Amino acid sequence: MLGLDYSWLADPAYQRWLLIGVVNTLKLAALSSSAAIVIGMLGALGFTFRIFWLDALIELFVEVFRNTPPLLQMLFAYFTLSTLGLKVTDPSTGLSVPLLSAFACAAISLSLFGGALAIEAFRSGIETMPRSIVDAARSLGYGRWARFWRIEAPIATRICLPALTNILTNLFKTTSQASVITVPELMYYAGQIYNDTFRTLEVMILVLLIYVALVSMLTFAMARLEAFMAFPGYGRGL
Amino acid sequence: MSRIEALIELDNVRKSFGDFEVLKGISMFVQKGEAVCIIGPSGSGKSTILRCINGLFPIDEGFIRVGEHRVHELKSDKAMRALRHQVAMVFQQYNLFPHRTALQNIMMAPIQVLGHDRAEVEERARKLLKKVRLSEKADSYPGQLSGGQQQRVAIARALAMQPEVILFDEVTAALDPETVKDVLFAIRELVEEGLTCILVTHEMKFAREVSQRVCFTDHGLIVESAPPAELFDNPQDPRTREFLGQVL
Ligand SMILES: Nc1ncnc2c1ncn2[C@@H]1O[C@H](COP(=O)(O)OP(=O)(O)O)[C@@H](O)[C@H]1O
Ligand SMILES: [Mg+2]
Repeated sequence: MLGLDYSWLADPAYQRWLLIGVVNTLKLAALSSSAAIVIGMLGALGFTFRIFWLDALIELFVEVFRNTPPLLQMLFAYFTLSTLGLKVTDPSTGLSVPLLSAFACAAISLSLFGGALAIEAFRSGIETMPRSIVDAARSLGYGRWARFWRIEAPIATRICLPALTNILTNLFKTTSQASVITVPELMYYAGQIYNDTFRTLEVMILVLLIYVALVSMLTFAMARLEAFMAFPGYGRGL
Repeated sequence: MSRIEALIELDNVRKSFGDFEVLKGISMFVQKGEAVCIIGPSGSGKSTILRCINGLFPIDEGFIRVGEHRVHELKSDKAMRALRHQVAMVFQQYNLFPHRTALQNIMMAPIQVLGHDRAEVEERARKLLKKVRLSEKADSYPGQLSGGQQQRVAIARALAMQPEVILFDEVTAALDPETVKDVLFAIRELVEEGLTCILVTHEMKFAREVSQRVCFTDHGLIVESAPPAELFDNPQDPRTREFLGQVL
């Protein structure tokens, strides 16, 4: 059929590579997504204090990470954190090894990239919330802290879930760039396999399908979450 | 009326937004148990007066006292907690929290802000829902309620704070005519029970029936203040006369 040759897929070694690749991709995506959400919340909370220098700092962070290529960020993280300084001596072998693995560098850099996008999303969620809801909370005696956690954050989270879905899908796809700094995830092993087998097209098609499946699972889960959290009586709620 | 006995006292309150002076020296007293209506053209500063009393807006000049709280001296939401326990506010747009049910909306602040016992608060909340005749809507979300029902939940939410004073800001202005009377009925009951109320309203008939005193505001000043029979039937100031001529 179309002259595609998938006989290499029968090789247990390649199957194993693909499996490890998928697991590492999932790990990297899960770690950086969680961290990005936490960074997003902290950043958005930071903005609510309206302290000049704190606003400027968060703004700078967002601008830097949102307006530069994530691949560059990853390379930057890799070469500064991993290859330059920050070495430790492995007690078992006595060799000097980087403190942070390529995987750790990729996770950190993706977290910061996703975090910058999440800050923007959460902030716009808080800002589009009707001012009058905040007034109501204040008039009921809520202080800044309780107001954020009990009222603003729950409402803003629901408002910005669609934007968050976009960010997380993007982040998931961006994990593939970690192959460039030798993180053994799906894209990395894909390269290994076609270098071995010269079945470039076949490997690409398979990897493409795997990404489609994984990202669809993510968007499906987010859609369920959105429906579950929707305000009853509004939009997609009951 | 002496200012010592007044529960609420405003003296020469001034407030600007940028260059625009919204309140140009507002003075008023409200006795305990009194219902005072504020009427006046749109943009004359009625909502701003209520917001200043509730501490939602800081004032530029003057003096505001509610009970023992000197509102103009309170700087943070934290410092205002006791004031907000004493003074509740109901808004034109209801402003219920959309992610919580009617019952939860009523219970949240007494538990989370005042630290009252949950079981006791739930009992209180259910009584209040019954009072505003919405017992069967306890588990509905705001988005599932009509405007009039949401507004009555908002009134119950304000009452759950066990306030001494309630400020109503045009609470029927956004409602369908059929539901207005349910909301006015609920408010009238509160006034008759002796709760101190300040009501900004466009319902002149209602103002005449429930309030002991009506204040007419224009361009950031209280132009005239009198018992409703006097103010409506025999307005002294030409601006009051003109306004009443338009709305009555
Ligand atoms: N937060 C604000 N910022 C700037 N201007 C405001 C703000 N709130 C009210 N104003 C202005 O103050 C004036 C009085 O407003 P308001 O007290 O709401 O009037 P009313 O309730 O009598 O219609 C209006 O001209 C309005 O545009
Ligand atoms: Mg108003």
